[in-house]
Amino acid sequence: MNKITKDQFVAVLEAAGITAPQREKLHVAFERQQPAAHQQFLEWLGLPAETIGKIREHSRQ
Amino acid sequence: MAAQFGLSRSTLLYYDRIGLLRPDYRTSAGYRLYNAADRQRLELICRFRSAGLSLARIERLLDRPQPTRSAMTTALQGRLTALNREIAALRRQQQVVVNLLQQKGSARRTRIMDKARWIALMRAAGMNDAEMHRWHEEFEQQSPEAHQDFLESLGLPAAEIRQIRRGTVRRT
Repeated sequence: MNKITKDQFVAVLEAAGITAPQREKLHVAFERQQPAAHQQFLEWLGLPAETIGKIREHSRQ
Repeated sequence: MAAQFGLSRSTLLYYDRIGLLRPDYRTSAGYRLYNAADRQRLELICRFRSAGLSLARIERLLDRPQPTRSAMTTALQGRLTALNREIAALRRQQQVVVNLLQQKGSARRTRIMDKARWIALMRAAGMNDAEMHRWHEEFEQQSPEAHQDFLESLGLPAAEIRQIRRGTVRRT
């Protein structure tokens, strides 16, 4: 099902000129506005549960 | 053997009855004795079952004299296509359910994303229209299938998805 990896997705964002701080903001906004969808999105990227937990926790701080 | 594979006894009896897995030997008292090859076959059956292949499909696959890699690939690709279709259908249902519940403020709890929410997130992260457009272009160029999948996950109609993907292709 997983047609894109996290690294590929980041490469797409980078190629579009979206910087690391912007990507960070994206996570924070995602976690605040749509926590459940954030989880689903990270699952879609095929990340393991542990990594997802860490990313979400980091985004909440 | 049923217990080892987490199956019920009746499942093995059923597999025997339909000819999917015949025991090596049946004692006069009716006990079924399975050998190592049967065991290997059952292992494959279980693995294909957990991928959602039908018993009939599995039987066709296993009963080739030499189950080739390409036959398995074809069967699994067919299954993947079916799964993608089911997921797309489920997403549409999810969207309908969310729309029905919207007034009750369920959006925050739902796992669904729609276009407006995604755009709001991109803006919150400081992205402008040009960057978003560029993002679609790159997405289409680098991972067209994932781009399609992503747009479907936003619940967009097929026509709009085509338009977005074509638009970004043309401009590159």
